[in-house]
Amino acid sequence: MSLIRVEHVGKSFASRHGTMTIMQDISFEVKDSDFLAIVGPSGCGKSTLLRLIQGLDQPTSGQISFRDQPVRGVCSQMAMVFQSFALYPWLTVSQNVAFGLEALGWPKERIGPQVERYVTVTGLDGFQEAYPRELSGGMRQRVGLARALAVEPAVLLMDEPFSALDPLTAASLRDEVLQLWRDPQLPPDAVLLVSHNIEEAIELADRVIVFSRRPGHILAEVPVDLPRPRDRKSEAFYNLTDRVYSLITEGGQTPAPPTAAAEAPPRDG
Amino acid sequence: MNEGTGSVASPPTHGPDAKSSRHLPSPWRSAAIYLAIPIVAGAALSASVGFSVAGIAVYLPTAGLDVFYSFLRMGAAYLLSLGFALAYGYYAATHRPGERVMIPILDILQSIPILGFFPVVIVLLLGFPTAGSWIGPNIASVVLIFTSMSWNMVFGVYESLKTLPAELKEAADTFALRGWLRFRRVLFPATINRLVYNSVLSWTGGWFFLVEAEIFTTNSHALAGIGSFLSFAASGHNGNEFLAGITVLVLVIAVLDFVVWRPLGRWAERFRYDQSPSGEAGAIEAPRDTSGRFRRAAAYVTRGVRTGVTRISTPLVQLASITVGAGRAPSERRRTATYYVGLGTILVIVWLMLIAIVVSVYGVFSGPIVPSVRSQIFGLPFAMGASIVRVVAAYALCLAIALPLAMWVARRPRANRVGLPVIEVIASFPATALFPVIIFELVPYISPEGAAILMLLTGMLWYLFFNLLSGIRALPPDLEEAARAFGLKGRQFVRRVLLPGVFPALITGSITAFGGGWNTLIVAEYLSAGPGKTLSLLGIGQRIDIGYAEPNGYPLMVAALFTLILTVITINELIWKPLYRRAVERYRYD
Repeated sequence: MSLIRVEHVGKSFASRHGTMTIMQDISFEVKDSDFLAIVGPSGCGKSTLLRLIQGLDQPTSGQISFRDQPVRGVCSQMAMVFQSFALYPWLTVSQNVAFGLEALGWPKERIGPQVERYVTVTGLDGFQEAYPRELSGGMRQRVGLARALAVEPAVLLMDEPFSALDPLTAASLRDEVLQLWRDPQLPPDAVLLVSHNIEEAIELADRVIVFSRRPGHILAEVPVDLPRPRDRKSEAFYNLTDRVYSLITEGGQTPAPPTAAAEAPPRDG
Repeated sequence: MNEGTGSVASPPTHGPDAKSSRHLPSPWRSAAIYLAIPIVAGAALSASVGFSVAGIAVYLPTAGLDVFYSFLRMGAAYLLSLGFALAYGYYAATHRPGERVMIPILDILQSIPILGFFPVVIVLLLGFPTAGSWIGPNIASVVLIFTSMSWNMVFGVYESLKTLPAELKEAADTFALRGWLRFRRVLFPATINRLVYNSVLSWTGGWFFLVEAEIFTTNSHALAGIGSFLSFAASGHNGNEFLAGITVLVLVIAVLDFVVWRPLGRWAERFRYDQSPSGEAGAIEAPRDTSGRFRRAAAYVTRGVRTGVTRISTPLVQLASITVGAGRAPSERRRTATYYVGLGTILVIVWLMLIAIVVSVYGVFSGPIVPSVRSQIFGLPFAMGASIVRVVAAYALCLAIALPLAMWVARRPRANRVGLPVIEVIASFPATALFPVIIFELVPYISPEGAAILMLLTGMLWYLFFNLLSGIRALPPDLEEAARAFGLKGRQFVRRVLLPGVFPALITGSITAFGGGWNTLIVAEYLSAGPGKTLSLLGIGQRIDIGYAEPNGYPLMVAALFTLILTVITINELIWKPLYRRAVERYRYD
């Protein structure tokens, strides 16, 4: 079943130097139980697209629909995980996790158990009353994840969720996200991940959508049918990675060595 | 600019020296200092005025009641400011069209010396609803305190909403958080940290202006309160009565500090949102030293005054650069002699126009101006000149005190541990409360001029000191180490490293100190309490006071006000703006 359908979506902004086109003619589909990744160079509009899908902003052209209904306004069936965690420093872990539920108008008696459940699922037990600034980066992103999952979204939108973490923490958190997605008892049904880290995308996703440089358009949709857990050192993994790299470098007309692209560029707005 | 953690806003916590267990913990130390003030002041006064414990006790109930009246005025003004700050700041930060008008208006309002509001407000409200009523003077004093409290609080709210990280707003958007819940969960908490720090400062400044307002109004109208109590006691040379007033005032300030502001400051720490996304792993912050709050608060108001000075583009000065610099590219438009002559001419014309407006408006409503008042109006430039000289002299004294003091406190752990709390407590005490004593007891020793400069000094010193202190502390240690590695010492070190390093802080501190100086003029130059007890020195503050006190004097008062405002704007534009720009461009090291 199709969850999200993106049809010929384009986005441009009026700037001082005229109209700036961020992306054009983007079409793809997110199906039930998909794990989809979008990769591309910085500034190609990946993060903007994520915000269009959630309904935070409207596309200039084309249409985005969720379960065959056009997305108008913020869609509560999706939840976002942010690169910078976006936790409220004045709220405790529990209060941050309850944030979305309050906005949905859940009654207090139901919020409590729901928060407990997702605090446990994300491994935050014992930190309920802690404030974000008392937590490590990895723990903070767990709070971000718990906050998104607590509203039981059909689709989890992840905007560079592991980029601000150290490599070891990122690796273990990736595993946990994968487990959550595969657990049929738990949300979400589908995950849409935006990343500039090609290895990360191939390790996690069923399909990888490759964006070009700005104005962003889709260069290719690469299916990843490697068995899980995926071994980054295997030849098949390497070949796939190599293919995506060459797609990006050729599509962008500015060849860059793969090693350089693997480094973390500045966050893409 | 990285707000909130800017160069002047983040004093480091007290270093390793804070651990030392031989010394009293910070709150007790402060309490001891609070108690020491009246004792030391009493000992100092006992030489000139006799006093006794029993004698003081007689006056305590009256003093307590008067402080209570003053406190009610403070509370009313504070609540007004709080509501105003939240409403105005919130609206300006969230409504683009409103913002474009509201923020420039605020910039102008906060660059007007607060004393500029005094006589106007009093004249408008004193007779309300009927002459001799107690309602009018009370409303007037509350409004005056409000003008001294609210601007920096509004900016605190506005800036914290504007600098709230985009992701925090976006996260609220993704959950479609709207209306009251959005305000309660996201926007209001975001303002709390700065609101609390600005409140500390507004409250401290509020006492200063409350006493000033009460002294000012007592010149002709009695307004029960601690300011008039002290003024009355000093004019009667009653040391016991005066000490009773000071004791109760210090007690109230100390209690409020311990019961309200310290706990609030600790609580407000939770609402800071400058946490870095990369998150230094497990970074549990060291408990912050709450006694640093006054320094931080001073930094906030400094930023307010500084932006007021630097953000407003004055039509007057632009006019000069257009007429003189026409035909040249703006970047090439150098300030030449012609420019200054042009500007001077325009200033004189604008001043004459303002005077003409005042005179003709008065003429329409009340009739022709009395000859003595007219001659005083045309003498205003001389009065202004005298005031400028006085403020500059006080500033020079301030610098001579503040710079060594700040260096001493910043560079010696012991001075930092013992000296700084003393300084902070003294700074939180409204110096205006001591003005009557300065006038009635010290004038014979230091001459009226000396007394006026001393009073100006108390209104200017702390801004300079706390800014310099933050500036010296913010000097990167590696610059200092490099200087030491090259063998730079003593005066050379001061000239080559320290002074250039603190230059930006010196400029912001000076801008704020001058603001404080203009505000103190009105009491420093003229104070009358009965026959033969008048301090009156040629100056703009004196002219405002005379205009207020004399029959038919209102045009003089308004003209003097305009003259002062014109002068302040011109000085800001010609001196502070270029210096500030230079400080930002050349002496930044971040």
